[in-house]
Amino acid sequence: MGLVTRGVRNAFRSGARAFSIIAILGLSIGLALAMLLAHQAVEQKINSVKSSVGNTITVSPAGVRGFEGGGNALTQTQVDKLKTIEHVSSVGESLNDRLTSTNTNLQSAVEAGDLGRRFSQNSGQTFTPPPGFSSDGQSGGNLSFTPPVTLLGTTDPTSLSSTQGGGSFSLKSGKAFDSASTDNVALVGSALATKNNLSVGSTFTAYGNIVTVVGVFDAGNTFSNNQLIMPLATVQKLSTQTGSLTGAVVNVDSISNVDSVTAQVKSVLGTTADVTSSKSQVQDSIAPLQNIASISSYSLVGAVVAGAVIVLLSMVMIVRERRREIGVIKAIGASNLKIMSQFMAEAVTLTILGAVVGIVLGVVAGNPITKMLVNNSSSSTTSQLMGAGTEEAGPQIFRSIGGGVRDNLSNIHASVGWDIILYGLGAAVLIATIGSMSASWFIAKVRPAEVMRTE
Amino acid sequence: MLKVSNITKTFSADGGDVTAVHDISLAVPDGKFVSIIGKSGSGKSTLLSLLGALDKPTSGSIEVDGQNITKLSEHALIGYRCRKIGFVFQSYNLVPNLTAIENVMLPMEFAKTSKAKRRLRAQELLDQVGLSDGKQDRKPTRLSGGEQQRVAIARALANKPKLILADEPTGNLDSQTGKMIFDLLHNLSKSESTTVIVVTHDLSIAGRTDKAFRLQDGKLVTQ
Repeated sequence: MGLVTRGVRNAFRSGARAFSIIAILGLSIGLALAMLLAHQAVEQKINSVKSSVGNTITVSPAGVRGFEGGGNALTQTQVDKLKTIEHVSSVGESLNDRLTSTNTNLQSAVEAGDLGRRFSQNSGQTFTPPPGFSSDGQSGGNLSFTPPVTLLGTTDPTSLSSTQGGGSFSLKSGKAFDSASTDNVALVGSALATKNNLSVGSTFTAYGNIVTVVGVFDAGNTFSNNQLIMPLATVQKLSTQTGSLTGAVVNVDSISNVDSVTAQVKSVLGTTADVTSSKSQVQDSIAPLQNIASISSYSLVGAVVAGAVIVLLSMVMIVRERRREIGVIKAIGASNLKIMSQFMAEAVTLTILGAVVGIVLGVVAGNPITKMLVNNSSSSTTSQLMGAGTEEAGPQIFRSIGGGVRDNLSNIHASVGWDIILYGLGAAVLIATIGSMSASWFIAKVRPAEVMRTE
Repeated sequence: MLKVSNITKTFSADGGDVTAVHDISLAVPDGKFVSIIGKSGSGKSTLLSLLGALDKPTSGSIEVDGQNITKLSEHALIGYRCRKIGFVFQSYNLVPNLTAIENVMLPMEFAKTSKAKRRLRAQELLDQVGLSDGKQDRKPTRLSGGEQQRVAIARALANKPKLILADEPTGNLDSQTGKMIFDLLHNLSKSESTTVIVVTHDLSIAGRTDKAFRLQDGKLVTQ
């Protein structure tokens, strides 16, 4: 029997003790792995958010937000200049308009209600009631004002970042049109489609032209689902606003370049446009995720250290218990190195079994712990996002970003790969090595003559 | 030939230095069976640990086959203990989670004897000390005191040492078993041509050895 075999067998000399050490070590390694999983998942999500959400710059005509305010539309020439700025990966262009019963046969899926009527009065606009309804007051009867249908002309049909309602674009049926399309086609919000019995292939009128439905989308909110999305060139042509834009979203290749690109966009457009970036808001909103990443890092180190201390104390206890036996083995010809190796094999055996238990625990608990950490921080994130949506200029873009980050938070998923298992075994070897060091020191200090003194 | 010349061993203690062994000189020819007797605290076990290279004397020299072991390095002493010395302890000191045969094989593993030879030699030795086949694969807790001491003697003989040092080998045994163990050691010293030094306070045992040394207060008073 070699020293490794003896070490392995020694690990199970006391079943209760071996079980206790393995269980405690398993918890420690399991916690370390769960924290590692959480750290990886959160870091991955932070990088994903940084690369996909926070790297946009919104450009609006100066003084205009949605259908509020006033001023002149942006021109195609102005926006084309933005595409030549370094680090700009793409520019999404849009032109918003409203369709009422004067220029469409569509009926809004949203009822006016008290708010709609109040907004209508305050803005000086009047909504034309549908056929069969009188317009002699607001006090009741069968009068029903209908808000207009919002139309988005865009070169990026699957993005709702330029819309007032925001949300996540999800195509329920049909397909999106080409970004450069000039056809009379439209994607219809699901609520609007239901209200008007539209499906793929149906037609409706807009600006006196027949428009064909090529897809129905769901944005996840009532406002956006009451919208139409059509090719930018088509909307410009039908609404007789050729060359005009009401918004542009500049996508930057990295969040680290957002500040410099924002400055250049402002320089190009001067006072004709309001330019806002989403960087600071997104950074605020991912701060809780970064806190989780930090907490999980500290917890990871803490759990590994705790595991090492457990093995260290256990091995010191075992060595002290077997002091006499160590003396005997030295007396019959064993070197310090051989005895240390035997105890190391014992520590590694206990630690590897603890690691197996820990890996199972880590795999099982990794995802729930990550979710729990994220849920605990999501309320602060949400409040920050709401603040961003109401206080800053360009609310629609920030609502969109907020929604995106909220989705990101809820979509965090810790996945277990071979790297995690290897990390677990690596942590076990590290713990066993550190834990055995002091035991080795005690072993070296045991003098063989002591066995005679205990006789 | 074991030759001890003027060895002294002094320990530091809270109340000052304590001399456990004081200026002892003795010689034991090869193959002899000798005893060291004395009361508790007379320095018997300290002398034995010096002879077995478990400890180093404060002064003096110990020669085994002309080699002064007090001058050997720590690494050389490990080899010396492994190949030249066999220990038998009062409390047997077998490794509890190893079987009887594994305990006997242990010193041979340290001496780098091949596994096959280890097992064969261990079986021979256990047969020689009278431990039956059925008990060779038992752990120490399932053996009687006398049987454990037989295993300890077999372990001491494993590497064919020049010197066997036995510290009160019958101290934990009843008189009948003690006599059997003593006879076993005596016979083995003859059959294996090994020098055996037994520490005891049992005068009846000392009277049956080739030579007896008496210690008193760390000094040799009778040879």
